[in-house]
Amino acid sequence: MTFSIESLLTVARDNPDALGSALAARSIPMVDGNKVTFVFHGQADAVYLRCWVSGLDTSQPLEPLEAGELWATTIDLPTGSRVEYKLEVVRNGQSELILDPLNPNQADDPFGANSVCQADGYERPEWTERHAETHQGSLHIVQVPTAAFGGTREVQVYLPSTFRDNRRYPLLIVHDGIDYLRYADFQNVLDNLIHRLEIPPMVVALTQSPDRLSEYAGNDRHAAFIAEDLLGFMQQAFPLDDRPDKRCLMGASFGGVASLHAAWRYPELFGNLLLQSGSFAFSDLGRHKRGPVFDPVVEFMNEFRADTVRPAERVFISCGMYESLIYENRSLVPHLQQKDVDVRFEEARDAHNWQNWRDRLRLGLSWLYPGPAWIVYE
Amino acid sequence: MAARQSVRAPGANTVSAAVKRLILGPQRPALTLDGAMQAAGLDDGPVAVVTAGWQEAEGDIDPIRKVLSQPVHDVGLYRLSRQLFHAEPELHNRYRQRQDRLAEQQALYRQRLRQHAIAVRRTLKASGTPAVIAPERRHAIAQLRALDRHHLRQVENAQLRFGSEFNVNSNRTLALATEKLHAELDNFPTVILAGGNLPVLLNRLRLFSLDDVLSRKHVVAWSAGAMLLGERIVLFHERMPQGLRDAEILDRGFGLLAKTIVMPDATNRLRTGNTLRMSAMSRRFSPATCCLLNNGSSVLFVNNVPVHAHDARYPATNGKLKAVAVS
Repeated sequence: MTFSIESLLTVARDNPDALGSALAARSIPMVDGNKVTFVFHGQADAVYLRCWVSGLDTSQPLEPLEAGELWATTIDLPTGSRVEYKLEVVRNGQSELILDPLNPNQADDPFGANSVCQADGYERPEWTERHAETHQGSLHIVQVPTAAFGGTREVQVYLPSTFRDNRRYPLLIVHDGIDYLRYADFQNVLDNLIHRLEIPPMVVALTQSPDRLSEYAGNDRHAAFIAEDLLGFMQQAFPLDDRPDKRCLMGASFGGVASLHAAWRYPELFGNLLLQSGSFAFSDLGRHKRGPVFDPVVEFMNEFRADTVRPAERVFISCGMYESLIYENRSLVPHLQQKDVDVRFEEARDAHNWQNWRDRLRLGLSWLYPGPAWIVYE
Repeated sequence: MAARQSVRAPGANTVSAAVKRLILGPQRPALTLDGAMQAAGLDDGPVAVVTAGWQEAEGDIDPIRKVLSQPVHDVGLYRLSRQLFHAEPELHNRYRQRQDRLAEQQALYRQRLRQHAIAVRRTLKASGTPAVIAPERRHAIAQLRALDRHHLRQVENAQLRFGSEFNVNSNRTLALATEKLHAELDNFPTVILAGGNLPVLLNRLRLFSLDDVLSRKHVVAWSAGAMLLGERIVLFHERMPQGLRDAEILDRGFGLLAKTIVMPDATNRLRTGNTLRMSAMSRRFSPATCCLLNNGSSVLFVNNVPVHAHDARYPATNGKLKAVAVS
């Protein structure tokens, strides 16, 4: 039993009325070195810790400690880890998934929110937060005509605060771009890294698919939309540096697949890829077991792995160690290197979520697009 | 202050025989320009300020005006170069081509440099039989220095080719702008070079042949401005998020500071506590001294001799930092 839970138990035994305030005074979950204790206070028939992290049980029971009102479980979590979770509370045969009421730290995603457990050593990078001295870029909505899908697609475009018509800018095309803005503080990241000269001022096209599981899954129409419709539009509308090494496709999860697929379908068009926790499922033998939504992904990845075409010159890959996709992402590295791609691979003690992707952006963007800090001496 | 003696024909553009170069560390967070100029005896007479390295923010010199007691003139070099490029599209086009070529040259140099720099560090930290290690170490350093010299020659060749095609003798617009600028600077015995984008500042100064003009002036310079004054211009930053990168020769400097390579913002940009890296740097650029400056640092050179230094250090051969010695 950890020191933290012992002290809580002492309060529960000696002065039960003070337990609520004792819990409020603590940071929950309680971190003691590499031991993390999850706590629930309240009436329940059973309580479970639910997290979708490779390596931990999906559902882990919290033990009742005092008269059924205080529940806890302790797990080992290495330094620097970050884990998202919910609590499953069972009352009268009814089960409910809830955010941890004792933990204000939450992460939003397109499906709602999760509570966040930050192990010893994890700190939110300060470059993901808004800073008063950082000049903000601007966001603009454009309608992009698309022959690939028909009609138009709405895309948001980020322009740096120092944008000038007479300059030439690198272009970054981001899959799930609006989600990156909402859930990964992407504008703060861009503003800060540009302000600090860690990346050059750049134009960023933020796309959002109405049907990402289909369009991002190795879909030729989507590749045509990115490489022909969107790139053509952006070149017409904005002053871009036309060299392939000044173009990058980026995406997470299925967005990573879409980025890799588009670059592979249009080789030598995009010099750089930034792939985060890509859903790069493949099968060396037999059928995959990830469900039908992955069928076209596996078909593409198998073809890609058998092919010799080099998708880009430089590829940055990041993935959480606690993701089921870590195997596929690790496998991609030597495969790309065999195709003479300059690869940088970054693992983190995190899982398949937006804050993991946010926290890796500084390294990925600055590696692909080194900023002028090298030549600017203020 | 001692009476000034003319070093050129009499006129407003002449300075005393005691030519002063005052180099400073970054002027952020604290602006130390005023105190350093006062201590150097450069606080009287009008000064011309070059802030081309600030690019679009050029001329935003109110903070400088606020702290200096003498009249301050904004040279407007960046703006002038834009006007020139607008009026001379062929010159602009060739200028861009040269920059692309230099970037290509720098990228190739960088690729080769990495392996040479690793070899130097490995031989420096190798342990074993001294008689075996010593010649390998010397040879590794010699190869790195040879690569630096080769790169510098290639850069100079590209500069010479451009300079032979576009100069004040061949381009009337450039000649007129240069003449006007030089005449303007005749009124200022002291020129201040601010920091900012180093290649932009360097190229603009060279385009209008101001490197020659500066050789006859007192010069006060910080950061990028100070880096131009040394023998060679070395780009460096060991704390970038994407990891370590080895220092690169960019170009020859104006040679206004003998045997000196200026490295501003050193504590933030260099791993000064890493004696291996510091030792490698010292040996690589010897006999030049790498002058490490931070906010608040200053070194005053009079007739090319450092006579006063404050909070300025250099890496010795053993990788330890030492205070810059003055005469």
